[in-house]
Amino acid sequence: MPFDPNFIRRLLPALLEGAEITIELSVLTIAICLVWGLLVALANATRGPLAWLAAAYIQIVRNTPLLIQMYLVYFGLGFAGLPLSGFMCGLLALCLQNGGYVAEIYRGGLQSVSARQYESGRALGMRRWTLYRVVVLPQVIARVIPPLANQGISIIKDTSQVAAIAVMDIMKVAQIWVESSANTYDVFLTVGLIYLSLTTIVSFGARFAERRLAFVA
Amino acid sequence: MPDTEPGRMATMPRLMLEMRGVAKRFGANEVLRGVSLSVPRGQTVVVIGPSGSGKTTLLRCINMLEDYEAGIVAVDGVPIGYAVDEKSGRRQRMAERAIAAARETIGIVFQSYNLFPHMSVLSNIIAAPIRVKGVSRPQAETRARELLAMVGLSDKEKEYPARLSGGQQQRVAIARALAMEPKIMLFDEVTSALDPELVGEVLAAMRQLARDGMTMVVVTHEMSFARDVADRVVFMDGGVIVEEGPPETMFSTPKTERVRQFLKRHNDRYRI
Amino acid sequence: MRTFAPLIHGYWYLLRGAGMTLLMAGASVVPATLLGMLFALGQIFGGRISRAAIVTYIFVVRGIPLLVLLTFVYYLLPLTGIDLPPFWGVVLVMACYYAAFMAEVFRAGILSLPQAQWDAARGLGMNRRQMLWIVIFPQAFRLAAPPFVNLCANLIKATSLVSVVGLWELTMASREIVERTLAPFQIFIGAAFLYFCMCFALSRYGKYLEGRVLAGH
Repeated sequence: MPFDPNFIRRLLPALLEGAEITIELSVLTIAICLVWGLLVALANATRGPLAWLAAAYIQIVRNTPLLIQMYLVYFGLGFAGLPLSGFMCGLLALCLQNGGYVAEIYRGGLQSVSARQYESGRALGMRRWTLYRVVVLPQVIARVIPPLANQGISIIKDTSQVAAIAVMDIMKVAQIWVESSANTYDVFLTVGLIYLSLTTIVSFGARFAERRLAFVA
Repeated sequence: MPDTEPGRMATMPRLMLEMRGVAKRFGANEVLRGVSLSVPRGQTVVVIGPSGSGKTTLLRCINMLEDYEAGIVAVDGVPIGYAVDEKSGRRQRMAERAIAAARETIGIVFQSYNLFPHMSVLSNIIAAPIRVKGVSRPQAETRARELLAMVGLSDKEKEYPARLSGGQQQRVAIARALAMEPKIMLFDEVTSALDPELVGEVLAAMRQLARDGMTMVVVTHEMSFARDVADRVVFMDGGVIVEEGPPETMFSTPKTERVRQFLKRHNDRYRI
Repeated sequence: MRTFAPLIHGYWYLLRGAGMTLLMAGASVVPATLLGMLFALGQIFGGRISRAAIVTYIFVVRGIPLLVLLTFVYYLLPLTGIDLPPFWGVVLVMACYYAAFMAEVFRAGILSLPQAQWDAARGLGMNRRQMLWIVIFPQAFRLAAPPFVNLCANLIKATSLVSVVGLWELTMASREIVERTLAPFQIFIGAAFLYFCMCFALSRYGKYLEGRVLAGH
């Protein structure tokens, strides 16, 4: 029987418990990737073997499925005698993959500041650090916010794949409830709404930040 | 002489800008072939010549936005970029810190305005005085407002560059450069990207500046500006100065055929 | 060499899995593209109702994980009594899901053409249909080509998710071999390599197209 309020009342606490895991994973992944992605982008901007390594990393993680990366970490580390919890494996794989994407976003942001901007700053007597702090970084930050927000949404959705390595996130809880209750509609409607509200929060937050930082009319 | 502390050149203190034998190449292309140029204090020198003649590169070498292989540049007797060791006579590149410090004394305005898009007009003007020279904010703002009044944009201090016309942006760029209280101003084809009806307002600001006694080097295609404002006109072609002189003789009785040709073609095109 | 023995024994099986992945991706890309174009046009030229419907659709689809939708349809299909083979069920979901992203790509392509192009077409006395087919579409498609190709690579990676709902393709094939051989590292790296070959080739092609667009060809 679809849309059974009693069923949803029993389902909701379980799903929200799963949502807690989902949110934890998302927040941790986003926070780690913001830093890790920057490190990779900076390494990629150097000259020499470090840049080559960063570029290879970016290409590899971006061109292979997250699920395979998760299996590799989860089963691979287990076999190598380094058993991590499913949660940690999921987090590691999520950060590996999304770090590559975030690095590319930073790179795009840095490239979008034209050589002329650097030139103007130097012509005004600014030295490297002042130039970055006053002229370059504010422009980079304003430009990377929309793509970073998209990546954040993507990360929230990606966390659902940890269900495949037995982490009890919303997705996994939903599967269990569907199989035990056969009330497919209600479970998925609720799950869909929870994901939708999580991603919507991110996109509204980003839109707010974007408006605060907007400088191009 | 340690390269971080450039001493003053003793020669000819009357000169605000002195370039000697500046040579620059891009790969096989020799853009400047030993150019020497002197600008006395308070004078305006206008550089003209066909495109690709090296005018812009010359300007960019003055404040070391472009590195050069030979020659030296000094502003108000202080070398910028390269210092000459007095004993050995060898040319030595100065430290980045010293170059940055020397750039503070040279204002430059570019063809493409290059305002900082993320800052309001006022912030554009006060950014460098505060962060580079350490001027206090109120003091910087007061000076910025004076300069905005001078270029006729007092009502625009809160606007962002993207909301201004090209002519307005260029006038802000002039104010931004002046806010550093430079000893000399360089103008690199500052009206070339502007719609014709906006050229006048920018030239007017430059005229005012010249009248107020600023030392200026102006690369331009505006011959009427050169005629009216320049103390001296320099004609460049193929990376060398071909001819120079006061505007009256340069425009009426040029000595070389190349200048005659250039002016004729130019006049045909613009019907001055 | 002995460490990679399982991979050597299983390589033919993996290759067949990769073939299935490509087949699935190919079957999904075609309807996704057509639907995406339709949405893009509806969003730009449609009336208020169709515009609102499309915007809502894109908003909802972009905010929910593909895995949720796949699982939903997997449990739903038997309930509805529709006799659709799982392969086509998956293709249906993938097509509907990626249509939302395709729509954004094509919409951006069309909208990024300068107003002058529309004016010029109108100035030549073209009607709307001629304007679109002769002036707008050829340019918009060229602009949209690089992100479109990247989206295709993304879709290939996403097909790995169908293994979670029990369909057989590269990821499922690799999991089967892992279960038999207990060599997760080697097999999953082998699978990752195959995915990499498919996606990297596509993303290189996307980069090449990007270069051509920037160069103005």
